[in-house]
Amino acid sequence: MTVPGPIFILGVPVVMAVGLQFLRRWTTVMAWLGVLTAGLVGAVIVFLPLTQPWQLGSLEIKLGEPLLILGRELIVQPVDRFALAFLFFTTAGLFVVAWRLLPHSNFFPIGLVTVSLLAGALLVEQVVYTALLVVMAAILAVFPLHEPETLRGGAGTEEHGDGSRTSGGLRYMAYAVLALPGLMITQLLLDLFATFPNDQGLLSGAAVLMSLSFAILFGATPFQSWLSNVAMNGSPPVVTFIFTVNLGTVWFMLLSYLQSYAWLERQAAFGPLFTALGLLMMIIGGLLAASQQSLGRLVGYATLVDNGAMLLALGLERVEGIVLASMLLLARPLSLSLMTLGLQGLRDVGGGDDSREAVLGAAWRAPWRAVAFMVGGIALAGFPISLSFPVRWGLYRLLAAENLLWALLALGGSAGVVLGLVGVIRSLLTPPATGTRPRVGEAGVRAITVVEDRGVLLLIVVLILVSLILGLFPQQAGRLALQMAEYYTFFQ
Amino acid sequence: MSPLVAWLARFSHLTSGPAVWGLFLAGAVIYLIAEWRIRLLALFVQYFFLALLFSRLFANRPELALLKMLVGWLICGALYFSARVRQDAVGGRSHFHWAADLPFRAFSLATFTLIAYLASQRYALPFVPENLALACFLLTVLALLFIGTEEDVVVVGVGVLNLLAALDMFYSSQDPGLLVTGLLIMMNLLVGLVVSYLAVVEVPE
Repeated sequence: MTVPGPIFILGVPVVMAVGLQFLRRWTTVMAWLGVLTAGLVGAVIVFLPLTQPWQLGSLEIKLGEPLLILGRELIVQPVDRFALAFLFFTTAGLFVVAWRLLPHSNFFPIGLVTVSLLAGALLVEQVVYTALLVVMAAILAVFPLHEPETLRGGAGTEEHGDGSRTSGGLRYMAYAVLALPGLMITQLLLDLFATFPNDQGLLSGAAVLMSLSFAILFGATPFQSWLSNVAMNGSPPVVTFIFTVNLGTVWFMLLSYLQSYAWLERQAAFGPLFTALGLLMMIIGGLLAASQQSLGRLVGYATLVDNGAMLLALGLERVEGIVLASMLLLARPLSLSLMTLGLQGLRDVGGGDDSREAVLGAAWRAPWRAVAFMVGGIALAGFPISLSFPVRWGLYRLLAAENLLWALLALGGSAGVVLGLVGVIRSLLTPPATGTRPRVGEAGVRAITVVEDRGVLLLIVVLILVSLILGLFPQQAGRLALQMAEYYTFFQ
Repeated sequence: MSPLVAWLARFSHLTSGPAVWGLFLAGAVIYLIAEWRIRLLALFVQYFFLALLFSRLFANRPELALLKMLVGWLICGALYFSARVRQDAVGGRSHFHWAADLPFRAFSLATFTLIAYLASQRYALPFVPENLALACFLLTVLALLFIGTEEDVVVVGVGVLNLLAALDMFYSSQDPGLLVTGLLIMMNLLVGLVVSYLAVVEVPE
């Protein structure tokens, strides 16, 4: 029996997710089954040729075989393989990170269903369904974002009225749904334009709605509040999942839109729009990060700056821009995972609070978590030594060739993130005052020295090493990004 | 055709005009009154009016309108249980009271309603009957008010549901395909579940 590739890619994670729900008592088993599933699907996507069948018992899996559902076609195309591999391998990696951080969490089963929905969004041909599936995945991700265990102790919250403990998930869901009408109506307008090609109003309407929807999904200024809220009070590994896997899919969706409607890109002058939006995101993100008191929010604003850099790269309207943006996306899971590991530990030290006051002197109590947060932050800001550094450097050089002021402003945005990190370093390294040192076992206060979990320690060391190696030798990642960029021809 | 579906189809032709304003009034009650039982009752009524309007859109398949109403009522049920859990955790008895900042709310509601009404007069939505266009605009402004000015999980969630209803109404007028309708119903259910879940987990232990 021949199984079309999309059934395997979408079905295996969903079936496994159902199984994982029954295994929630055994975190290690659940986490590693999740890792294996996501890794296996990713490996099949990368290594299995599209046309050659793979014999699995009595089943014959054909990756390139289309799947028809009520007349709608789902098909794995060469261009989708990079995106799908990114989604599944990143998910597998994040499950490893979450293994030691989220015991008995529903992140593992829901993460698999979410990545399956996102993969479906990339495989389906019609953009309406892509939009619907992306938004459904966003809504689903809210469940693990705010689990009762992570909310205990008021983790990363600001006590200001109803809903603040769960405001991240609520805002994320609301903004994702707000982006939906624009994406769905865009296709209607473009279909109408195909019938009435002289009506330029339809084209303008489509361009405006599409830009607005993507701006909301990327958390572009002035819609950045969901990014900071999610980062502030969400469970850190799930925050990383949303900022890499979910936002990564939005990024590939944007590229797919531009590829499908290349004539729209030419007529609606998206280049200057992306440049302006990207610069604004980097400047505002940098300013907000520099003045940030909460470590969680700093993660959110650093991501805003990174999103801005990606849009700025796209605004160059060159293949190199797509390569640079793709490399930034590749680098993000590493830097955010490190920040996540650090943030979770520092929050624990602060008794669930991640404000600078709460983590005063935390570097003396949880040194590895502090190092992870700092190295991850520096990498996300695009400073040496990290994969983001050569990418951002390349971006500044290309920008400077067009306009020196833009390059300086973009650099300023990144510097803002580093300034915010410097403030955090000062708080983390402040030695606890004599006489006010908390006693072990005192109510509401954690132990003075945190004994690190060996698994977490190993993860931190491995992630730092990989980050450094990729920073020193970025050629392989660059080659990968270049291969992917060659499929997108709308700038040629 | 079941008697309930036939009755819904017949009733919708008589009352689609009042149903639009019924929809809006139910939304206004949710915005202006803070008592959760009344809010949920208003949401329950709002889904009834929505079903009446949808039965005009799905004239050949009124069972779809009925399905949307049932899904809405299911969401109301989930929200009811969450609200009960919250009430039990907080303690005390629930009693009627207006929402905080009532004058501001009343003013913003009146302003937004006027904007929605004028927008529906000025900008005709393609392929959407006049009454339904007004309903789309009203639901959208209600959604923006709920999402933009409220902190309460349930009210923000109702805003998201209202936005989805407006989108559903508009999109179904253009392309009444089963797959989009089905996916939107699933999305409504997901939103209802998430809101219900968040309302429970945010209660301090």
